[in-house]
Amino acid sequence: MPKLQIAIYWGAACGGCDVAVLDTNEFILEVGKIADIRLWPVAADGKYSDVEKMKDKELDLTLFDGAVRTSENEHLARLLRQKSKLLVAFGSCAHLGGIPGLANLVPMQEIFERAYLKNASIEPGNTTVPKPESMVGPYKLTIPKFYDRVYKLDDIVDVDYYVPGCPPHFDQVKAVLGVIASGKLPAKGSVVGCTDRALCDECKREKTEKRVKKFFRPWQIVPDPNKCLLEQGVLCAGSATRGGCGVRCPNIGIPCRGCYGPPPNVVDQGAKLLSAVASIIDSKEPKEIDQILATLPDITGYAYRFGMPSGLLQRRHAP
Amino acid sequence: MSDLKIGVYICNCGTNIAKTVDCEAVIKAMQTLPGVAVAKSYKYMCSNPGQEMIAADIKTLGLNRVVVAACSPRMHEPTFRKALDSAGLNPYFLEMANIREQNSWVHEDGAACTHKAIDLTRGAVKRVAFHEALEKRSVPMSPSVLVLGGGVAGMTAALEIGDANQTVYLVEREDHLGGNVARIDLTAPHLDSARDLLLDRITRVTTHPKIKVLLKSELVEMSGYIGNFKTKIKTAGKELELELEVGALVVCTGYQEFDAKKIRNFGYGSLPDVITSFELETMIRAGKIVTKSGKTPRYVSLIHCVGSRSEEHHPYCSRVCCMTAIKYAHEVKSMIPDAYVSDLYIDMHAFGKGCEDFYKRGSELRTMFLMYKKNQPPVVRVADPKEKFGMLIALSEQLSGEDVEIPADLIVLMVGMEPRADSASVAHIVNISRDKDGWFIESHPKLDPVATTTDGIFIAGACQAPKDIPDSVAQARAASARIMAKIAQGKIWVDAVYAEVDPEYCSGCRMCNELCPYSAIEFDAAEKRSHVISAVCKACGACVAGCPSSAIKGRHFTDKQIFAQIEGVMA
Amino acid sequence: MSFEPKIVGILCNWCSYTGADLAGTSRTKYAPNIRVLRVMCSARVDPTFIFKALSEGADGVLICGCHPGDCHYVEGNYKAMRRFPLLKKMLADLGVEDQRVRLEWVSASEGQRFADVVNEMTEQVRKLGPSKIKPDLLADRRNRPAAAAAEVAHA
Repeated sequence: MPKLQIAIYWGAACGGCDVAVLDTNEFILEVGKIADIRLWPVAADGKYSDVEKMKDKELDLTLFDGAVRTSENEHLARLLRQKSKLLVAFGSCAHLGGIPGLANLVPMQEIFERAYLKNASIEPGNTTVPKPESMVGPYKLTIPKFYDRVYKLDDIVDVDYYVPGCPPHFDQVKAVLGVIASGKLPAKGSVVGCTDRALCDECKREKTEKRVKKFFRPWQIVPDPNKCLLEQGVLCAGSATRGGCGVRCPNIGIPCRGCYGPPPNVVDQGAKLLSAVASIIDSKEPKEIDQILATLPDITGYAYRFGMPSGLLQRRHAP
Repeated sequence: MSDLKIGVYICNCGTNIAKTVDCEAVIKAMQTLPGVAVAKSYKYMCSNPGQEMIAADIKTLGLNRVVVAACSPRMHEPTFRKALDSAGLNPYFLEMANIREQNSWVHEDGAACTHKAIDLTRGAVKRVAFHEALEKRSVPMSPSVLVLGGGVAGMTAALEIGDANQTVYLVEREDHLGGNVARIDLTAPHLDSARDLLLDRITRVTTHPKIKVLLKSELVEMSGYIGNFKTKIKTAGKELELELEVGALVVCTGYQEFDAKKIRNFGYGSLPDVITSFELETMIRAGKIVTKSGKTPRYVSLIHCVGSRSEEHHPYCSRVCCMTAIKYAHEVKSMIPDAYVSDLYIDMHAFGKGCEDFYKRGSELRTMFLMYKKNQPPVVRVADPKEKFGMLIALSEQLSGEDVEIPADLIVLMVGMEPRADSASVAHIVNISRDKDGWFIESHPKLDPVATTTDGIFIAGACQAPKDIPDSVAQARAASARIMAKIAQGKIWVDAVYAEVDPEYCSGCRMCNELCPYSAIEFDAAEKRSHVISAVCKACGACVAGCPSSAIKGRHFTDKQIFAQIEGVMA
Repeated sequence: MSFEPKIVGILCNWCSYTGADLAGTSRTKYAPNIRVLRVMCSARVDPTFIFKALSEGADGVLICGCHPGDCHYVEGNYKAMRRFPLLKKMLADLGVEDQRVRLEWVSASEGQRFADVVNEMTEQVRKLGPSKIKPDLLADRRNRPAAAAAEVAHA
């Protein structure tokens, strides 16, 4: 039985998804028995040229985590698509754009200036900025082009499956690898390792009346562990977020943030979260409604925390 | 959807549409769209030949969707739905594009009109592809009715329904029937005996074979929906609650009077000869009007708007008190011919039949009418013991423009009507709403005053708003007629357009339950899923937009249909 | 040749759609730039619809419902009213000019008002110029097989 050829690659990522794979602990050794990991920058040596030399579809499976923000990310996305039988968008960034996707709300020039010129840790007078091309001795050094917005993986290439989560839980990682190893594949384009209902289905907290006169940041109150967080004014995104993660966050008093993405029938998770929050405001007076909304600091950030590039508008469209 | 066969029909509407819209251009544009099997225009699509053309095309061309670009759907959607039905195609496979009221009649530029007509019709073509066959269905109903409250409204409703041979349960909290009318002697403006009026009704109600009177009883619980309400009645002195299944309820719980103690200026509660209208009624029924010390009063004053039309107390007018005050002027003069009667009012509301004449006759009795200003009520004080009268009333008289003080031995306060103290809990039990003043809210103030937003629950009488006996009776009859119409059908027809929760995607988040103004979405705690009672759903779509999982489908107004229509008009 | 905006209108059946029809029966003239969709109640308007219209290239979106207190379904318009300020905040964050998306109350007898609102909004949106959203999204697209192949070869 030939070993599975797999690659695990990170685009615009934090590394958490790769750590999630490592978190499978000894399981990774089992994986090692049935698979050759041909590319995994976080854990092993490997060169892009090795990938380029592969035959088309030589890889059985690539797990691509992270979003696409630079020309390097895009290049590898296309390369790995070409060389893989199955390409899986692994984790929220590849699936939906992830937290890096929030950068779509800020003009690229502003991000650049903040990173390299206008922040407290830059020495005054230091105006060194990265250049796309520069000479280092006799060698011309080029660095990847930084795009002016974030893309999710399927904006660039055809994706076979999506594994949601920020990061996907290591149990899901095992389950997904197991499914792929078994050959019994679900329909192409499926989101795997999750359920088809919103998180409220698994959450044990009691749900009664949804009427709120004030919203609270999670640190502002000590929520009752038995009652629905949203009903207590804490912005839990669970009602518009796909389940299957085991309710790990609400179970310890933290509101769901929405990392598994929208439930199957929802076209735009941010729009639905907006609708949900507005629906529970307990008032009919415009002034009072405004006051209640003032306790909600950042609707766009809350609603699109993991999925800005996957919303209908995808990004800010200012002049 | 490769088996779509859409027929597109552009109506000329004579010249109404054709004068500005280039119908040929619209036809050509529609012919390029995928799924369109035929596109034609005709002079008058709504005419018989027009409808027959559609029906014939459905049969010969096997059309499974129809778009009619014509007048507003509010005009002819039912007409064209019938045309589809006549050809054996489900009527909901129709979509209309409004190219008359919202196009040819409102824009002058022919090119712009044509462009818009093409966009709107294309929107309809894309939308109709996602239409589904929808059916009306029926659920059984119980023909029994529960009437809550045994006053004049409640008894009227019970008799109407009982006379129509349906079972009525008349639930009354007190140990007698009659409500507030039982506390008065004569009615205004005709000075009929309230006692006779009531006696007749009470006799008929208590001897009626179809009416079951439950005295000393209260409705404590209600669940279910129109045609299928489950109610629990608690009777004082009985341990077990009575469980009744009824198809409809009429709420006739009436009113209570304003507590005059709340207005210090009148001295009610501290001055013995300041009494309320109801207290005067008691005296009149006993046959003698006297002061507390037993003397016959020489000066009798009637003060209007006690607790009503007031910024501090109730802003509304209690409707009946003006004519009741005139009635008292008559009664006092009839029992004490030498008495001086003064009537202190803000405005004389003599709106009803016979009331202006009654007012005129009231003044012919030499009643002294004194007008005071709203929110500047008269002030009552005890007179000097030397004086021949007991009290003095000071007021800023508006007709003369003078500040006057008038003598009074007996002051009658025309206390206003207010919602009963338990109206909030009654509203909660039967699932209806109250307005800002606490009265039960009707479905529509002008067009539907006896129905409520909860199907099957009707309101009649003063519990809806202050009103007199004729109006209470009229409302009770109206509610009964509505109920009889439903009972006559024998079943409740559920409209084909309603919202449906898909249990496969419902997460039990319960966002929807509160959003429904008709309480049509119930939550099954065991299954942890919400469910729409289609018989009660009015298809507003609030739950569909509010569901964070998009698990609720708004039949005939689904997300897919609306998205397709947006794509179509923007293409 | 000035720019002709395209405005998507979503009107509730009982009040605003009827009001718009009344403008028709009264032959009140107004700008032809609006494309109306009918829903039963403004409560049905999901914020997703506004995003959809904008992403399809609408230069403006007009939502109309019954005046507060007059909703045929009791309080549907209050639901629309609660969603709207949040939607406006989000649209501002997404760079959509305030005047492009409007919520107006139009009763069944306000044909003239409907016409006035459409005229006013059309002019405001005309001044703002065409919406950049659809052109932006089209320009963002990275499905350029030739360029992609070239990039792979280059690396």
